[in-house]
Amino acid sequence: MSIGWLSEHVREEIDHWVAKFPDGRHRSAIIGALQAVQHENKGYLTPELMDAVAAYLDLPKIQVYEVATFYSMFETEPVGRHCVSVCTNISCMLRGSDEIVEHLERKFGIKLGESTPDGKIFLKREEECLAACCGAPMMMVDHIYHENLTPEKVDKVLDTLD
Amino acid sequence: MSDDIVNIEINGQPVTAKKGQMLIEVTDRHETYVPRFCYHEKLSIAANCRMCLVEVEKAPKPLPACATPVMDGMKVFTRSAAAISAQKATMEFLLINHPLDCPICDQGGECELQDLAMGFGRDVSRYNDRKRVVKDKNLGPLVSTDMTRCIHCTRCVRFGQEITGIQELGTVGRSDQVEIGTYIERSVDHELSGNIIDLCPVGALNNKPYRFGARAWEMVAKPMVSPHDCAGSNLFGHVLRGKLKRVVPQDNEAINETWISDRDRFSYEGVYSEDRLMAPLIKVDQEWREASWAEAIEAVRDSLRTGVSHEGDALGVLVSPNATLEEMYLLNRIARHLGSQNLDHRLRRRDFSDQSSDPDVPSLGMPIASIDSLNGVLVVGSNLRREVPIIAHRLRKAALAGADVGFVNPEEYEYHFASAAYVDAPLDRFAEKLAGVVAAAAETTKTNVPGSISKILADVKVDETARSAARILSENDRSLILFGQIAARHPNFSAIRRLAAVLAELTGAQLGFLPEGANAVGAHLAGILPHRGPGGVELEEQGRDALGMLASPRSVYMLFGMEPDGDLADCALAEQALKAADKVICFSPFVTQSLLDCSDILIPLGTYAETAGTFVNIEGAWQSFDATASLVGDAREGWRILRVLGNELELPECDYQNASEVSDALAAELGSGAIDSALSSRAGISLQSTDVADLTLDVPMYAIDSVVRRGKALQSTQIAAETREGGSEA
Amino acid sequence: MFKNLIKTFLLTELGKGLSVTFRHLFVRKVTVQYPEEKAPQSPRFRGLHALRRYPNGEERCIACKLCEAVCPALAITIESDVADDGTRRTSRYDIDLFKCIYCGFCEEACPVDAIVETRIHEYHMESRGENIMTKDKLLAVGDKYADMIAADKAADAPYR
Repeated sequence: MSIGWLSEHVREEIDHWVAKFPDGRHRSAIIGALQAVQHENKGYLTPELMDAVAAYLDLPKIQVYEVATFYSMFETEPVGRHCVSVCTNISCMLRGSDEIVEHLERKFGIKLGESTPDGKIFLKREEECLAACCGAPMMMVDHIYHENLTPEKVDKVLDTLD
Repeated sequence: MSDDIVNIEINGQPVTAKKGQMLIEVTDRHETYVPRFCYHEKLSIAANCRMCLVEVEKAPKPLPACATPVMDGMKVFTRSAAAISAQKATMEFLLINHPLDCPICDQGGECELQDLAMGFGRDVSRYNDRKRVVKDKNLGPLVSTDMTRCIHCTRCVRFGQEITGIQELGTVGRSDQVEIGTYIERSVDHELSGNIIDLCPVGALNNKPYRFGARAWEMVAKPMVSPHDCAGSNLFGHVLRGKLKRVVPQDNEAINETWISDRDRFSYEGVYSEDRLMAPLIKVDQEWREASWAEAIEAVRDSLRTGVSHEGDALGVLVSPNATLEEMYLLNRIARHLGSQNLDHRLRRRDFSDQSSDPDVPSLGMPIASIDSLNGVLVVGSNLRREVPIIAHRLRKAALAGADVGFVNPEEYEYHFASAAYVDAPLDRFAEKLAGVVAAAAETTKTNVPGSISKILADVKVDETARSAARILSENDRSLILFGQIAARHPNFSAIRRLAAVLAELTGAQLGFLPEGANAVGAHLAGILPHRGPGGVELEEQGRDALGMLASPRSVYMLFGMEPDGDLADCALAEQALKAADKVICFSPFVTQSLLDCSDILIPLGTYAETAGTFVNIEGAWQSFDATASLVGDAREGWRILRVLGNELELPECDYQNASEVSDALAAELGSGAIDSALSSRAGISLQSTDVADLTLDVPMYAIDSVVRRGKALQSTQIAAETREGGSEA
Repeated sequence: MFKNLIKTFLLTELGKGLSVTFRHLFVRKVTVQYPEEKAPQSPRFRGLHALRRYPNGEERCIACKLCEAVCPALAITIESDVADDGTRRTSRYDIDLFKCIYCGFCEEACPVDAIVETRIHEYHMESRGENIMTKDKLLAVGDKYADMIAADKAADAPYR
């Protein structure tokens, strides 16, 4: 069935999460499962993959869709290879995150929540506090934190991406 | 005992409540209304609408009454300034994104949001930004959606999770983007899904076939009883100027709680099918012509008189099991008056060999509501969800409460609970497989089985699934064998039933039947049987059963409310027999080509919605109802036609003025004699496999009777499509 | 008693009455020569009914049946259905002019200003059945007098 969409590694990861919850509460493993699946699928989820997770966990498909659409860390549409999330929460905002966002939008010609046409960069729609207020303003590029940003520093970080 | 009781105060009135009860349950019981949207008696508590906020003394903030358990000494104020202001604030938020389209909304006039907005809403909105708009979802042919109206109470989502057991709808997205939907477009397919229409407190989910048909306030609600299955769900028919506009459930905790199946809800469309028979038709010299009622009744009388004059045996009467008790009783009287015992309502049954040991009435043997509290159920030969959805729902409730439920079925039908045992019994080996369970029961209970059976059981293999199926019954004190329609239509029915009876005896389980049609029990009471009169009185001279009277053709047939090409076990046989007959008199609400081909007189009959009558359900409850809608065309109520016919045939004491006089007459004839629903079979059986390859014993849910077959919306559902596909393959 | 007798014999009452008559021979006339002349009408005049359209030609009526519900004389009969474009529309809209008491409640109840009572009051029927204003007839009245109805509505708007 659709479980075939899941790789061996992903299945191990899901099993790992299922084991963490009491019997019959495997619904709680959806988040972990989707993270693993999304990581292997260039940073976004497809209906097939979500169905596969539902089939693997033996849950109604809609319960997986609910989780995938609820959390901002899951993308349900194809996105660029590199995920750039700029924190716009209070500390970063006070230290000038708006300028960083503006710089990014101008640099790539796209708005937050969009990907560049060449499929390289994806600007996360809205990122809440990532717990790095000491180094505000900050952004996260492919799970790596970059702090004390200036437009120049942003350029330096992003230009090194392939 | 006193530990369980707490004393609280509601609006200054001291009341007692059970520990653990939610506040809203207590206020409801004491007729103190607390406004609510997401709370529903039959569903779990979500507390997400926040409309039921009430003030509780010493609580710093208002608390939701639906999710606040009572505590001793609690002082609750449901109408204090703080409570009202909290409720008003909630209402203002709910109305921010709710469209002002009440004039075109089908919920207008019966909308919980509209009602509460009258009490708690502001006259003028303070919200000046754009309202959000949500795309409508396509949920199939039964439920229409206007998702912008949704207030996210999640009743429909919880209904899917808890009542049907298959979650079809969910909350997609979050915060102001949240939507109720299926994410990937699909229809809601469960056979109880229509209930989300009633659950939805606003106009987001509505009745699609009824869409824009009428307003709530202009229709008259008339009580009805489900005409399609043996549970006899209570309904309300909403009528506008004599036309049935929609059907909604009537609460009856003893039968259908607050749910009804989609079949009961949407079949009314069939009443207004284009092929309704509008006037009596008579075939004269192979030409059909319209006739007046007087002519038609005369023609029926004459063909009965001339055809049956020499011997009563020349007449065969086939009656739909959905006919009312009154119609059945009159048919019984007329047929017996004419000297014919050939009348039957068991149209799809194939095996009548052991009919003398039929129970007086095929009943459940217990109240429907007590299925909930059973702890062991074995379903024998039944696609239960399709046959009697309400019983299937009860069974699911029992299973979730811990009952072991097992199945002996030719196919593993989908149930949304864990089954304790599934005995795979293909049709050709059905009796053998059931015998395996009986043998296993004999083994575990170490009881002797009757001699004739024990010989047969000796050769039967007992496997582990049979043992676990037997254990379901023997190890539980409140156990039931549900004997379904697939088993009842099986060519080896007698053997299967005998085995089921032995199994019940061995394990101390109750044997409950789920007969076909809304009034099978009534048919047994009224004597629509070839071998028994009213009340199960054995007849000296026995007539021919449904199959027998077609296999050896009669010269005159009366078909009542049934279609020979859809309602019989062997339709080809019927076609031959009817074509060969001298006269075929059809009482039918509909006219089809096959009826025109095979019959000589067509009498327009009122459907279940247009006639007064009584249905007797499987728990033996006589449920009477009045005519709901006006008759279509020149059709007449069945009991009225039959009474006039009775007069014409000089049937004594046939001057009934209304339907209840007919049922009273039957009740008087039955007297107070107890109806024995026990099975008294002692006949020998054989497990020999019969040729069942070509038989469709599982009649599709939406093909069960002539009205349902004409329900347009039902015919375009996924369930109908699947069974059509399945049928064409077979 | 005596005074009354004198009044009776001298016909003083008659003289008083005639004096009014003669005086009015020379006063400005107030009689309206209907039908050549017409009395002034209020824009709120409640006469023959009409169903209105939006400027783009779309019917206003959405078959909410509030007018039917509010009508104290039960003069309105409506049947609703889904129109071809999926909107809610009337498939029948009848007003029985014999039942109608011209109270104007239908107009008040209408959420989309579809049903109105125009200032037309000079109409008649010649045969049975003409008293039923069907949807087509009502729309025709609305189309014919669209400008007049709009002007009346505008004139009344400041007072609402």
